[in-house]
Amino acid sequence: MTTSLFSLPNEVILSALAAQFPCRGQQIISLYTLVTTRGALSRNIVLHGLTATGKSAITKAILEKISTPALQDDIANPHPIEPTDQLRYAMIKSAECITGRHLLEQTIGAVAKAIGWEGNVGRCENVATLVVVVGKMMECWTESGDESVSRRLVLVFDAIDRQRDVPTTMLPALARMAETIPNLSSVYIVTAPRPNFLHRPGVPHIQFPSYTKAELLQIVSSLEPTPRLLTGSEDTKNVWTRFCPAVYDSLSKHSGRDILSFRHVCMSLWPRFIQPILDGTHYPTPFSRLLVANRSLFQNDGVLTPSIISPKTFNVKPQTQFKLPALASQLPFHTRLLLLASYLASFNPARTDITHFMKSALAKRRKKGGGTALTKSNAGTSKNRKISRKLLGPQAFVLERMLAIFMCLRDDAGGRKGNLKARRAALEDVNGSADVHTAIATLASLRLLVRMGVSNSADALDGGSRYKVAVGWEVVRVIGRSVGIEMEDYLAD
Amino acid sequence: MSEHGESHIGFDSSDHQTAYIYGASGGGRDETVTERSTKRRKLRKTPKSKPVVNSGSIKFQGLLNGFENDDSALLRQYLFYKCWSQTDAQIQSILNDANEDALAEVTTFVNEVNSVEDGDRLPTSFIVSGPNIASQDLLFKQLSDRLGRDVDGSIVVLRSGDTTNLKAVLKHIIRTATQAGSEEEAFSTQRDGRKLLNYDLEILRAHVKNHGGESVVIAFQDSEAFDTQLLVDLIALFHSWRDRIPFVLLFGVATSVELFQERLPKAASRCLHGIQVDVEQSSAIIERIFKAVITSSREHLMLGPALLSTLLERQQDHVQSVQSFIAAIKYTYMCHFYGNSLSVMSDSIVTISENQFVLQQCQFEAIRTLSSFRTLVEDSLSSQRPERARNLLQNDDALGEEVAAALRARDSYILRLLRAVYVFESTNQEQDVSTLEVYITMAEGRMHSSNYLKRLLGSLRGMNPSDISIIIAKAIYCMKHGGHEGISANWAEDDDKFWEELQDIKSKVDTLSADAKEADAPIRSGDAIHSRGLRTTVIAQRVQLSYEQSTLTDAEKEFTALTERLSDILREYFTLGRPQELFLHEAWLCDSTESLRVFTPRPRAAIEDNLAEPQEYLISASGGKPGPSVSPATSMLYQRYLEAGSLINLADLWSSFLENSVGDEADEKAEREALMQFYGALADLKLLGMIKQSKKKADHVSKVLWKGL
Repeated sequence: MTTSLFSLPNEVILSALAAQFPCRGQQIISLYTLVTTRGALSRNIVLHGLTATGKSAITKAILEKISTPALQDDIANPHPIEPTDQLRYAMIKSAECITGRHLLEQTIGAVAKAIGWEGNVGRCENVATLVVVVGKMMECWTESGDESVSRRLVLVFDAIDRQRDVPTTMLPALARMAETIPNLSSVYIVTAPRPNFLHRPGVPHIQFPSYTKAELLQIVSSLEPTPRLLTGSEDTKNVWTRFCPAVYDSLSKHSGRDILSFRHVCMSLWPRFIQPILDGTHYPTPFSRLLVANRSLFQNDGVLTPSIISPKTFNVKPQTQFKLPALASQLPFHTRLLLLASYLASFNPARTDITHFMKSALAKRRKKGGGTALTKSNAGTSKNRKISRKLLGPQAFVLERMLAIFMCLRDDAGGRKGNLKARRAALEDVNGSADVHTAIATLASLRLLVRMGVSNSADALDGGSRYKVAVGWEVVRVIGRSVGIEMEDYLAD
Repeated sequence: MSEHGESHIGFDSSDHQTAYIYGASGGGRDETVTERSTKRRKLRKTPKSKPVVNSGSIKFQGLLNGFENDDSALLRQYLFYKCWSQTDAQIQSILNDANEDALAEVTTFVNEVNSVEDGDRLPTSFIVSGPNIASQDLLFKQLSDRLGRDVDGSIVVLRSGDTTNLKAVLKHIIRTATQAGSEEEAFSTQRDGRKLLNYDLEILRAHVKNHGGESVVIAFQDSEAFDTQLLVDLIALFHSWRDRIPFVLLFGVATSVELFQERLPKAASRCLHGIQVDVEQSSAIIERIFKAVITSSREHLMLGPALLSTLLERQQDHVQSVQSFIAAIKYTYMCHFYGNSLSVMSDSIVTISENQFVLQQCQFEAIRTLSSFRTLVEDSLSSQRPERARNLLQNDDALGEEVAAALRARDSYILRLLRAVYVFESTNQEQDVSTLEVYITMAEGRMHSSNYLKRLLGSLRGMNPSDISIIIAKAIYCMKHGGHEGISANWAEDDDKFWEELQDIKSKVDTLSADAKEADAPIRSGDAIHSRGLRTTVIAQRVQLSYEQSTLTDAEKEFTALTERLSDILREYFTLGRPQELFLHEAWLCDSTESLRVFTPRPRAAIEDNLAEPQEYLISASGGKPGPSVSPATSMLYQRYLEAGSLINLADLWSSFLENSVGDEADEKAEREALMQFYGALADLKLLGMIKQSKKKADHVSKVLWKGL
């Protein structure tokens, strides 16, 4: 049997793939050439690019086309490559591998499955074992058929750079494996490779760049939107192709430009966009008029953050809203106060506590801002501290300081029923009570307070343990009003 | 140790020792470890068999200095078990019902979710349960029971406490999900003989494939407490496996779905898609439990207004937890029956007159010490009946009759109260009135001046005849048919005057409105028009102010009078005396808030108080009186500690302590003694968490606790 070492790529396959993945022709040809046995075969190939650029999908599609399945005769697969060549592939998803060892086990399992290994597969503890076992399997497989057939196995490591719990030597070792075992190629799919991360020169890299605007529009415009217009698919197509650029320019341009989010935004806006046409108030033809009628859709960027609640339940929301009030009124009174105190402790610098919370300075405290004298005295530091503390994020505080602030707030808080005397008595009870600590623990387990320093093995309610508040200004202001406290009065700057 | 054994038999005295004392001759502890462990194991068994032996015997102690006989103690014990088991059964059924809607919703979601295939995202249900974490436990238990019954598949409930890292979570999931199936398969080997790691989801896939379950439900009970990174990893992993294993996720959310979503990175939240399910809030459940409690136990005891308002306040201020409410009520029951020897009389079946149960001599004496007895005697004296007072004081039989009468009066009082609350509830138009608060107000005897009644009567004034008629019909309906559990039907005979008045007013109002309909002149209440304010008319460039009232027709005047009458009888009906005014109320009224203090410990305040004022707690060795002379070293050091700043120099602390304890001229021995005390005291403070080694300066300690927080 005389076969040349090199043959041109199969145009039928290529054109089919190009139709399936528009705007990726270059990458398809490169990868195709690099993995086929009669192309420019390479032992290690790196594919890189951002998410949603088609790396995994294209790799899988190409390998599926050119591989010869284990139990499939050539008649079923009309023109693959030359029937004498056998190419199989195995894909290992790092997202499904919990540990490095799991990755190795998965690899062995995938290899055994791909080449139809029937013997016993042992455990695989490290890369050395992997090399030996895979080598043995490959050897058996290559020798099983007749000599002239060239056999090849392609291993695809998908998102190998995201693999959890893996030693740094793993990747170079895998790359080395492809070199020591004959007839084995490895494809590594990564997001952004470090230079020479395989410790091996001359590894071909194929870049999958993000789609440009023209490409995005071309791909998304070719989709079929649902629901269709009643007037026919021609109209639907026309409106859709003009609708997509509008969405891109107004919403997607400045946010996620990847194709998935763009497609999602288009698809979710489409039914609302054509609602006026379906209602009969507008016609598809003057597109600009339709656009103006729907301009609120393009101004609201809420669609960019996909909700985890399906829109179906939004319709019944009004009833549930009544049943379930906001978080502010669900928490018990003292828990709310504790949350407020935590917020103040996180966002006020400790040195202004005296101006804000000293009992004697009640009148002074009301003045917003407080320490003007302090900031004047050291003008040098005020220059550096121009950023508002609200923007700097919460700082860690010591539990004891928060409790002190809590005691102050407690005296000022109103809005509770009951006469003054009973209130006094109830407030006295809080002093040093275990309930307060229960409330703190509850807040911490609701993650409204975040405990700092995991290594700090002391008790969670130890006076010295440090916490940070995890709710924002808006929530806190509402909660403050529910207990009769205006939070602005207590905040420094 | 507490998990094996209800009694303390398993303990020995050395268990609470802070340090292990080694006895060379084998004293103190057993010689060998092996021997000890076998002995322990034997002891563990014994408590289990004990209750069987003890079941007939008395666990309650005889009261009144032991004068109370066994029968009485046994009766109290019996009453407690009877009362509480009734109440508890009702509470449990309420708790089971409460989550019913949410459970049904989740079940349908899980069942339907796989038919509506949205392959891209994980179907998720967010169960918003409110910030009461304690109730999540029950909810998820019910949920896993329900799903196990109604859903084809396996359910795994994850708690934040028992899952630390990804590997452990996966192991747990796989173990639980696969063992839920019938046969014990060797789950670590696949069919082709390949061994899998025990955290490989491949095992689960094979299991699902073999058993053909429709879904694998993973429930995160307290999703907030989970490490966010762990959640993200799990979501990504499940999402990746979604095409092979039909995962359905349930998240118990205590705060809100928005906060939950904020916490997750976008990559993870993009994988989730589902519905929000709201669980009934604890305040509503508490209301229902309260109703069950007051009606189920009304034959035995009554929960007083002060007690209930304390409970309610605690719910609002500190914990919103159904479980703690139930615990407090149970504790009140226990206290009542265990500590009150007169609680035997609270059983209305066993009355004195029927001679089924005879009060002991000592119990009569106990009754005579009650303050309500004193009031009774004083009353009979002031009403010029000295013989009756003498009889009551001297003759047990006379007192017995009085007791029987008092018990009957109690029954009618409680019944009257419950009915009044019920009638109020049914006639009330406003939405957000808590029955519990109405009950408290009525039992405190403050109803006639309360805002509730004012608002109710105020709303009556503005009504037209048909509304009034509806309200009366409602009141009549509940009198005829009885209320929720426990209030029997047909109490019209008991309150015949009220009943007749209502009927009368209703028939008159109906006639009026029928007449008005014929005449086509709508009847308005005089108050309703009055409340609209003045009418201004401009006649010949003059403004005239006039009241509408003058234009009332006769029918309207009559209607206004009827409304007034209705207001009066309602006010009268809703006005009740306080239960404390009744004789023998001590025997059935639980109104002591002191007993609830056990649920609100103040450990820190207690410790600080002890350290600050030790002489109030210690009795000095000389004489029996509290002596201010020498306070313990720890307390002395605590005083110094309070005076110091946030960083304390140990040398300064020591010199101050030394001066205070031995004075200026100290010999070496005294100084060494003081040093020893100082070290001991310092160790105590450290143990209490008051000081900590400072990182800033080597010879300083930092002050951790401030006083009075």
